[in-house]
Amino acid sequence: MKLNKLLASVLVIILAAGGAVGCSSKSDAADPSAETSSAAEAAPAASNEEAADKKTEPKETTLSLLIDGDVSRAGFDAVAALAKEKLGITVEVEIRPGGADGDNVVKTRLASGDMADLCAYNSGSLLAALNPSEYFIDISKEDWASRLDDTFVSAVAINGATYGIPMASAQAGAILYSKSMYKELGLTVPKTWDEFIANCDAIKAAGKTAILGTFADSWTAQVLYLGDHYNVAAKDPNFAKDFEAGKTKYASSEAGLNSWKRLAATSAYYNKDSLATTYDDGCDIMANGEAGHWAMLTQSLSNIYELYGDKVNDIGVFGIPGDDPNNQGLTVWMPTAIYGNKNSDKTEDILRFMEFYISDEALNAYAGAVLPDGPYCVKGYELPDTAYDAVKNDMQAYFDAGKTVTALEFQTPVKGPNCPAISQECAAGLTSAEEAAAAYDADCLKQAVQLGLDWK
Amino acid sequence: MDNKKMYSGWFLVPALTIFTLFFIVPMVVSLFFSMTVWNFTDFKFVGLDNFKMFFTEKSLNISIKNTLIYAVLTCGLKVVLGILIAVFLTSAIKTKNILRSIVFFPNLVSTIAVGITFSALMHPSKGLFNKVLENIGVPAIDWLGNIQIALFSVVGTDVWKGVGVATVIYIAGIQSIDKTFYEAASIDGANSWKQFLNITLPLCRPAMNSVIILAFIGGMRTFDLIWAMTGGGPGFATDVVASIVYKQYAAGFYGLSTAGNVVMFILIAVFAFPLQRYLLSKEVN
Repeated sequence: MKLNKLLASVLVIILAAGGAVGCSSKSDAADPSAETSSAAEAAPAASNEEAADKKTEPKETTLSLLIDGDVSRAGFDAVAALAKEKLGITVEVEIRPGGADGDNVVKTRLASGDMADLCAYNSGSLLAALNPSEYFIDISKEDWASRLDDTFVSAVAINGATYGIPMASAQAGAILYSKSMYKELGLTVPKTWDEFIANCDAIKAAGKTAILGTFADSWTAQVLYLGDHYNVAAKDPNFAKDFEAGKTKYASSEAGLNSWKRLAATSAYYNKDSLATTYDDGCDIMANGEAGHWAMLTQSLSNIYELYGDKVNDIGVFGIPGDDPNNQGLTVWMPTAIYGNKNSDKTEDILRFMEFYISDEALNAYAGAVLPDGPYCVKGYELPDTAYDAVKNDMQAYFDAGKTVTALEFQTPVKGPNCPAISQECAAGLTSAEEAAAAYDADCLKQAVQLGLDWK
Repeated sequence: MDNKKMYSGWFLVPALTIFTLFFIVPMVVSLFFSMTVWNFTDFKFVGLDNFKMFFTEKSLNISIKNTLIYAVLTCGLKVVLGILIAVFLTSAIKTKNILRSIVFFPNLVSTIAVGITFSALMHPSKGLFNKVLENIGVPAIDWLGNIQIALFSVVGTDVWKGVGVATVIYIAGIQSIDKTFYEAASIDGANSWKQFLNITLPLCRPAMNSVIILAFIGGMRTFDLIWAMTGGGPGFATDVVASIVYKQYAAGFYGLSTAGNVVMFILIAVFAFPLQRYLLSKEVN
């Protein structure tokens, strides 16, 4: 029995220690698919030296890019193909997961010095959390950076340094609706929140899904709340500033709490299996007109277009309605940005590629492959005539009328990381609007502490 | 005399170096960093603020309750089901080799694969489980979407996957029991229930203790199955300490994340060590 005791003690020690140590190493390992880069990077380094001899020719080189698998890449691929032809730069794409898993992969690879040459990642508050001055090339001194749209620059600039170029067009967090279902039931596009709910009631009464929930990908649950920021800003123009300063909170401000109330009010209208439906399922369902509304980023239009072609024009868009019928606006998202790895040995090639990526030539190639989900973030480059109806007709009207505002995450670095889960609970009717608002405030407090802001 | 002690002491050096370098040092370092707000370039000492936040905020402290429920349930079910299956599989049945393989098989499949498979089986409208229920006239159950049920659905999957290991340990324990005990008992007129109660159960106590400890600690630090099936959702209903730690790291709250690891270590220590002492004291010599 003595051996047994000894064995058991050793086991307990190993397991317990593994519990503490093993867990941190688990997050370090993050994702096996992210390991492939080192092999890919070793090869082009050799070919680089050969190419250095003939200086007149454009250098043949390979850049690696780490990107979220959910992002539509058709436009990017078209530009990359052109870059190979014109610049001799081949881009090797590495896929990473989205959401929290993706954040972990990006943060771990940055911290361990294993980042790809190019990194596609969110602009706005999520970028701020990456400590970009440490890892990314500052492009503010480059001539071509002046081509970038000012609003976009503000979403990728931290302490005066600019880090990213727009990977795609800007987009909106809005309500996508099925035009054919609206026609069938004789509905009109709502101007206020109450009209929107009335439409939902009508669709529900017809035995159809009034609002599509795709909460298996929990990030999708927050779009309705985040997209309501136009209405928040309309009521309280200083909300973003006061929120960052810790002076106003969602739970205590009327404008902020309203967003959560709207999200809570939708809980009666979702599809029954909303918690098991994914974003990809959602694209299918909307393309086939099986749901009335979907609160979603308009990037899904490109996903639908890639899968279903012209069926995308059966989908219309309206900004999340507020209380004032004369002031319905659109909350705009700055696109995913591409950042250059400062610690790569190919920074010159990276800058060449970035400059090329926002040239008219590249944008034409981009627009030739996939249509924009909103305006481009490059000065002087217009939307092509062939854009999706939803963008050309519905969204452009908001831009023309100046009724747009960027989402809160592009105005302040404070964004609670549990926003998806809190929104998911609230939309599923598990928590009340007040509880969700208070939970989100508490969540943001953690971000404020990490950023060193003085919140009470 | 002293020389002799020194001589034998040197044998400890390699093991001690490795243990210090890879266990003691990281533990002390993480204890320190759990009391700071840090990123990869600098840190600020904040005392016990991280722990205070961990224990007071609902989205964080729900994980402690969930972890304990999860560990106790998976452990208990594996202990009970494991011994029943083991007794069955050590009895005189013809197909026992095949059956033993079948019981052990789920353990060979990757946890992530099991998680994905079961979340498909538990899909509220398209999943096999609900289709079967529908056919026998039972209303569909939202296995992973209902916050009251979700954690138990994951517990069930964990037991399905892990009961094989418990069974194998039990089988080894039962087979090492001397057959003469059973002969003597049956001559004295003990029926098989009495034999199980008075011979099998006490004599496979060491095996049972290993199962309890392994299953309990495994349950306390579970992560992969939860992450594959629910991601901690809906909301925070199935978040355990390990998944919370992972999420805080993803969010860039490194101090809070380290504090979570320390909490998990303390939890395991507080429950596992006394449990082990108690179990060992009960062993029959």
